[in-house]
Amino acid sequence: MEKGDMLVGWSTNEEVRKRGGSGGLVTSILAAALEKGLVDAVVVLKKINEFEAVPVITSDVEEVLNSAGSMHSVPSNFAKLVADKKIKVAVPGKGCDVRAIIEQGKRNAVDLDNTFIIGLNCGGSMHPSVTREMLKTVYNIEPEDVEGEEIEKGKLIFKTKDGKEHAITIDELEEKGYGRRESCRYCSIKVPNNADLACGNWGVTGDLVGKATFVEVNSDKGVKLLQNALDAGMIEVKEPDDKGIAIRGKIKGSMEGLAGKWKDKVFVPVDNRLEYFRKELENCIDCGACKTVCPTCSCGPVSKCNEYHERSDAYKMSMYHLVRFLHLADSCIGCGQCTDVCPSDIPLTRLYRRFANPIQEELKYTPGMDIRKPPYFETKLEEL
Amino acid sequence: MAGNIYPTICPGCNFGCGLYIRENEGLDVEFRKSSPANAGKLCRFGMKLLELYRSASSMVGGKETSLEDAAKEAAKRLSGGSAALVSFGNTTCEEHLAFRDLAEKLGAPFYTGVDLEDFPEDTRPTLKVGIPYNEIEKAKHIVLFIDPYIQYPLIVRRLVSAKNNGARITSIGWKKLPLADEDLSPGDVSKLELSKDSIVIADLHPLSDIEYVKNLLGLAKKAGARITFLKPFANSTGAGILSEGQSTGKLVEEIEKGSIKTLFCLESDITEVIPEDTLSKLENLIVQTGRESATTGKADIVIAHEPLYRKKGELVNNEGRVQALGGEGTGGLEALGIIAGSKFEFDALQEKVKKAIGIETIDEFTIPDHERPDYAAPEGKPAVPEEKTALVSMFNPFMWYGLPDDNNFVELNLKMVRSLKLIKGGTIKIKSNGSAIDMRFRVAPVQDNILISEKRVPFVKGIVTPVEVSR
Repeated sequence: MEKGDMLVGWSTNEEVRKRGGSGGLVTSILAAALEKGLVDAVVVLKKINEFEAVPVITSDVEEVLNSAGSMHSVPSNFAKLVADKKIKVAVPGKGCDVRAIIEQGKRNAVDLDNTFIIGLNCGGSMHPSVTREMLKTVYNIEPEDVEGEEIEKGKLIFKTKDGKEHAITIDELEEKGYGRRESCRYCSIKVPNNADLACGNWGVTGDLVGKATFVEVNSDKGVKLLQNALDAGMIEVKEPDDKGIAIRGKIKGSMEGLAGKWKDKVFVPVDNRLEYFRKELENCIDCGACKTVCPTCSCGPVSKCNEYHERSDAYKMSMYHLVRFLHLADSCIGCGQCTDVCPSDIPLTRLYRRFANPIQEELKYTPGMDIRKPPYFETKLEEL
Repeated sequence: MAGNIYPTICPGCNFGCGLYIRENEGLDVEFRKSSPANAGKLCRFGMKLLELYRSASSMVGGKETSLEDAAKEAAKRLSGGSAALVSFGNTTCEEHLAFRDLAEKLGAPFYTGVDLEDFPEDTRPTLKVGIPYNEIEKAKHIVLFIDPYIQYPLIVRRLVSAKNNGARITSIGWKKLPLADEDLSPGDVSKLELSKDSIVIADLHPLSDIEYVKNLLGLAKKAGARITFLKPFANSTGAGILSEGQSTGKLVEEIEKGSIKTLFCLESDITEVIPEDTLSKLENLIVQTGRESATTGKADIVIAHEPLYRKKGELVNNEGRVQALGGEGTGGLEALGIIAGSKFEFDALQEKVKKAIGIETIDEFTIPDHERPDYAAPEGKPAVPEEKTALVSMFNPFMWYGLPDDNNFVELNLKMVRSLKLIKGGTIKIKSNGSAIDMRFRVAPVQDNILISEKRVPFVKGIVTPVEVSR
């Protein structure tokens, strides 16, 4: 096995394979990594209900095997959970988790050599509060009656306890203001090739649909992860068929194209930028949640955005936000966490991206995709 | 390796914001995005919550002891008579109920900070339980008698949502609010146009002016408007539903008279509301709590148990939403059982709580039906502030008590800054009744001759304090 390989795989544990949405491959790779000592711990989601789960770092193989897998209504980011832990760890994550972990690595908060990242294909996640409201108002079902959900062929499908399936196209949901978080709509990282492995159900064909995972090996660490699970007898793999590879590529391309359209739709140029930003930020209550949650920020409480800002200042726009706009211009990954937690519902990710989009395009730099340093870090004084 | 994670409720006020506390080597606050009251969002206080959770130790006379021994000593001193019990509602419904039962058993007066008997009986349901937040988002007209940014910040996003839905927002206050379409000064309340489509948002707490609150009730009633009162303690609403208690004013009076010599406080920082001179007249101050505070520092007996996030039980928020805490701790009930001489059973208390609220199951996503009967408009006669330079205390009176915050400044308008020839980056001298303080200032759209402070300035007693100012 080598970097660049594509495979289709599943868990050899029948229970895990049955419970996992795509054959339990990722769960078994994580469990094998732990059991065989490749890592000290792994990150998993501990499910509370259909719309709530908490990420935990665990060394308990049983906890891994019983974990929730990925959940569309749990828009968490794992990067800060593994930062500064000084352990060998395996982390499954969406494109934004992977990007944030890599950014933390560049800032020496994560040791990337000891961090095994299993990327999960992601078309987007939903805020749990929005999902609950959507279920009541659009699907006309009670959230408590839901016992499963999946996305298939552009439709968001909820399964209820009475055995019925309720499907509505994501386009229709998003027209009504529901569906995916705004940042997920324009995110272009649908297959996380920046991770050691990129896993998902796109490209699984025939009898294996719903029972296996398509996996692409992106690095030597990815080879180690997969080989370790195979050696432990916890997974089985086979080569995918050409049709599967083609389907996967087509879905990826189509999703990326759609993301581009969303990007154009969201980032309509504004005329008076100062007034636009001032107005958007006028309800800020200085809580600092956007910085605390930011998965690429590794500054801690003593940081420029905090130190240059005092609440007694009366600037039209606070130094806190100005510093953050600059700081994130080359490191914002557009994960949407800041918007999620803003108590005044300020669309912060959109604001940060309005600074970051042109700069990252100009500098041809996409944070979190590889280990290239952020341009502001790599520029040397003599080059100026 | 797995950390202990507790889904819990922020104790900063009664908004009912959900969050997680993760216990690893230290504590971390994490966002609980599925929480119905706040969708995981937290205010400045919520983000600094860990500063509040400093663990306390059981003590008698300054010496560390066990919970059991501290509780036994408390029982001894409480049996001496002239005792009173205080619970503002900073704890679970079950603990509050057990505490109320203990007061009954001891024959001691019970204080909750606000005495609803000060208000006409038909207004009390309206005072006890507020309007659901999603109904505020649907209102056509909202009138604010609070500064939402400072006092109850999680209401801001509900107001933003209401505005996006077409609501008009009127603010009654001393400062223009970015959210408001119309700003009226408190002296111009007569110009306020209320209708049945209006929702009035005010607050009610132990320092509230009763006449002012009556006035607001009357104002809303006459226009057919709805009114909701936000409250400051984690379980203010639960405490209001479960018990009738007396006011802080009355408590101060009784301590001053000498009829109360032993005061037993359950998770209530009475140093927030009772003057130091008055407290010094007590023979015994007994504090039962899950965290260190200014009040534990003054206590003769501290009965310390698990903090709120580790407790088992329910809180009721402003909307009347019943939310379970994620802990398993019942150390508080254990201590109260020792003092009462008979054990308090959690399950039995929980059944009583459910009965009092009128629910069979605890479901944080469903707000129980709370009665909001019609009431006759009361006539309040609040004192009219004098027309001179004044310092307005615009804070949630309890949220930040004893905790550091970046709020050591006053706000005033540019005209005032210029007339006083204040220097940018400098301070303003504020004097009142022989006391003086220098504070930094910030230019803001505040009314003439008004200073606004988010910080509790030592010489301030009420909301509006006449002051003299100079450079």
